[in-house]
Formats: sequence, structure tokens, C-alpha cells
Amino acid sequence: MTDQVGQQRSETTQPKPTATPKSIFSRTVTVTLIRSGIVVGFFLAWEFASGRWIEPFLISSPSRIFTSLFSGFYSGDLVQHTWVTFLEVAIGFPIGAITGIALGYGFGRSRLLAEIFEPIIIALNGIPRTALAPLFIVWLGIGLWSKVGVVFLLTFFLNFFNTYTGMRQMDHEYVDLAGLMGVKGWKLTFKVIFPAISPYVFTGIRTSIPFAVIGAIVGEFVAATEGVGFFIRMSAGIFRTADVFVGIIVLMIMVIIMDKIAEAVERKALRWQTQKEHVQIQG
Amino acid sequence: MPDLAQAPSPSARSQTGSVIKVEDVSKFFQTPSQENLGALLNIDLEIRHGEFVTIVGPSGCGKSTLLKLIAGFSPVSGGRILFQGEEVRGLNTRVGYVPQESKLFPWLTVEENVGFGLSPKKYSRADRERQVSYFIKLAGLSGFEKYYPAQLSGGMGKRASIIRALAYEPAVILMDEPFGPLDAQTRMVLQDELLKIWEQKRQTIVFVTHDLVEAVALADRVVVMTHRPGKIKDVIKINMARPRNIFEIHRQDGFDDAYGRLWNIFRHELNIGRPSEQDS
Repeated sequence: MTDQVGQQRSETTQPKPTATPKSIFSRTVTVTLIRSGIVVGFFLAWEFASGRWIEPFLISSPSRIFTSLFSGFYSGDLVQHTWVTFLEVAIGFPIGAITGIALGYGFGRSRLLAEIFEPIIIALNGIPRTALAPLFIVWLGIGLWSKVGVVFLLTFFLNFFNTYTGMRQMDHEYVDLAGLMGVKGWKLTFKVIFPAISPYVFTGIRTSIPFAVIGAIVGEFVAATEGVGFFIRMSAGIFRTADVFVGIIVLMIMVIIMDKIAEAVERKALRWQTQKEHVQIQG
Repeated sequence: MPDLAQAPSPSARSQTGSVIKVEDVSKFFQTPSQENLGALLNIDLEIRHGEFVTIVGPSGCGKSTLLKLIAGFSPVSGGRILFQGEEVRGLNTRVGYVPQESKLFPWLTVEENVGFGLSPKKYSRADRERQVSYFIKLAGLSGFEKYYPAQLSGGMGKRASIIRALAYEPAVILMDEPFGPLDAQTRMVLQDELLKIWEQKRQTIVFVTHDLVEAVALADRVVVMTHRPGKIKDVIKINMARPRNIFEIHRQDGFDDAYGRLWNIFRHELNIGRPSEQDS
């Protein structure tokens, strides 16, 4: 949500035509300066307010968070929690994404399959999925697998819907042309259909990354003995507010790293789309 | 239509050299209001091996639809289409198709696009590479093998699209207004190149266009279609010597005569075309 607001704002400021490269340059510098100023100012204000105007156990302070972050990693405690959460995501996310993509593809290929299951899937999609987390704890215990289940569930639907949309939006002429050339089977699937829907598939993968992490955390909030979600809940329970922020920072970094990896893979896979070097030859 | 009169028996296809036989074919589409829209009505057409046939007609006369039926993209509503004596059911993998827009696979490079139809069963790796580079050279795309379609100009994309259909050597190439969106100059260059390639390969070509000059300049026979529902109005034989010079086509013997006959039919077609358009 906040992301969207930020995007809209930057969109409204960007289109202002800038005439010369020089003014573009000075503009970037100004923007960067103001942005860094706001961020630094925010942290300074936070540091200053903490303990003077607001109790530290409510908002902690940047310096305390920084210290906690390092001591947490140094003792290995935080590393263990991070590893557990990472593992839940690392198992649940790929399984969810692959199942979603495969099913979206299958529905797109088979009218019958789509007609039978589409209403069911849409109905299931209506369930607030995090509400199912307690059920997963009951079914799969308080260990790793219940969280993997929640991660799977959140990842699956996003990937399924995006892939299925891609299958319906795809230009069918490509499939027809390939068919005329006698191309079928795996070559049709992986050399024609998947490239054609790949922008949709990547949208699914990238939007589901934060949700995969949310899934793991919600699972750990409900019942767990380790993991970053457990660490956050426990820290909040004993008013170690700095550690709560440490947990949040770890999660943020985890999402950013995953997204950067996905972005790099996407850029490589879709380089045919982004190639901008045109040839200007008549004929 | 003397060409259609001598109907050969289906078994004697090799003797007569007929590749495509369209027999009493009709095609209807369901409109959203559940009405049947007649696109083609009782089409009879025979195309012989090695022939260059163009199909002209006003827009919306179903000429593209006819090509799509021959390619097997959609089923006929009535009648049947024989391809080398066999009825077309489902995708007809013995034809190559050049669509209106180039429709190169945007995720493949030029050489990957051109080689896409060359199955490993029919072509060894070396054959495949030879074939691809031969056609790329023929189309003047040497040096652009590794480019993606988005990086090509309209004319280059068109060339690549045409050689993609030629490269896997289908018996017939179907072309659906391939030069439509190009500027006049590029168009002429490409028409010239197409004829040159065709002189060498002599693959059967069925070429849909709305441009009368193009229709006459390229064809052995021009099929004229009427306004919707599309019927065949006439088939004109073009008696012009080959090889033809596209750039001076107006001065070539037989052009004026053929164009005049075509225009007479077409003018008539335009006159009756207009009121019925207002009716619907």
C-alpha cells in the first residue's frame, strides 16, 4: 500500500520534461539529497525522541536496534531463527510457485480442466488464507512443515492466477504457427507457450515473494519454537522492542534479497523484451 | 473459368499436379447475437503444384478466412478442402503460413526463428545450420542472425517471417497480406525479392492481398472474391512473361490487359458492395 502511494507520487513528479542532460543530472542530485535528508532526519528524530519524549520500550531507538542486531548475530541466536524462517520459505515457496504455474498452464491448455475446477479455485481463493494457519498447525504440528504449508498456500494462488491469466491473454497465433511447423509436445510448451506467458509468470513469482515470507511469519506467530516470527513475538512479549525491530529488519532484508534474485533472473529471461538497441536500416 | 472446368479425379493428383482442392467450402461465424455470419459461401478452387496464386477482394470478403481454413486453423462449416488428395482436418503441417503481422517469436533470435520449423528428425544439425544461413543470406539478413525481432525494422521482420515459412520447405506457402503495412518502396523491394526466391524454389504460393497491382504483378492466376459472404467472382490468368521486373511492371507486356480486366470486375464489385454495406 505504502509502496503504491510512493510510486504514484514519484510518477507525478517524473514526467516534467527536462530539457538538457545537465538539468537532468542536477535534478537527480537534488532528488537524492532530499531523499537521504528525509531518511537521516527521521532516524535522528527517532534517536532523539527515544527516552526524552517517548518511553524506549515503546519505540526503542536506532542505536539500540543496531546493537541488538549485532549481538543477536554474534551470539548465533538470530542466525538460527533466520535460518529456520529461510528454510520454511525456501521449501514452501518453490513448491507453491511450481504447482501454481503448472496448474495455471494446465487450465490454460485444457478447456475441460478449466471448466471443472475454475469455480472451485475461485471459491477457495475467497478464503482469507492466513486464517488457515491454525488449521495447518493442527494438521502438521508446530514444527517446520506447518509453516511450509502456509507459505505454499499463499504462494500457490498468486502464481496460479497470474499464469492462468497469461494463458488466456496469450496470442494464440504463436501456438498455431508453431503447430503448422510441426512443433508439439515439450518443445511447444517450453519454447513457445512458456516464453509467451513468461511476463505473467514472473509477475506471479515476484508478487508472491513477500507473501511467502508473510506466510512463514504468520505460521510462527500462531505456534512455533523458533524462527524470526517466533523471535518477534517473544521479544514483544517481554518488551524487548529493539529485538522486535531487529526481526523486522531481518525479514525486510530477506524479501529484498529474494526479490533482487528474481529480478535478475527475470531480466535475463526476458532480455528479448528489453533489448532496446534498434537497427535503423531501410527495408 | 476454364481452369476449374477440368476437374480431375482425386486419385490422379500427381498427374494433374493439383496441390489444393477447395470443394464447395462455406464458413460461418457465430456473432455474439447468435446470428450466423457468412464469411465464405460455396467456394470452389483448385491450385496446382508450383503455381503462384493471388486472391484479391474487398476487405472483409473472407480471403484471409480461406487461407486459415487451408492452414487448418479452424474447421470448415461446409464442403471440404483436399490437400494433396487428403482432407484437411486440424492443423495442416504441410503448409507454411506468413501472417499479416510478422509474428516472429519475439523471444527467439532471427536465426532461431528461421530454424524453428526444422525438426531434428528431418534435418541433421549441419543441414539445419546450412539451411538457416542459406535463407538468411537469401533474405539479406546476414549480420542480423543474433538480433531479436524487436530490434528489426518492419521490412526486415517481414523478410525473416517469410523465410521462416520457407526454410522448413512446406509444399505450399500461404501468405496473408504480408506486405500490407509496409511503405511503397519497401513493399516493392520485398515483392521483387519474393519473386526471385520463388523463381528459384518454385514452391506453391497462395497470396492474399487487397492491392490489385500487387495481385497482377506476382501471380500466375488472380482469384477475385466478392463482398461478404465471400464467393469467387472470377479467376484471371495472367499471361506475363517471367522473370518479371517488379519496378517496371507497368511497362511489361500483358500488364495493362490483365489489370484492365481485373479492374473491370472489381469496379463492378465496388458498386454493388456499397449499398449492401449500408444495409447491414
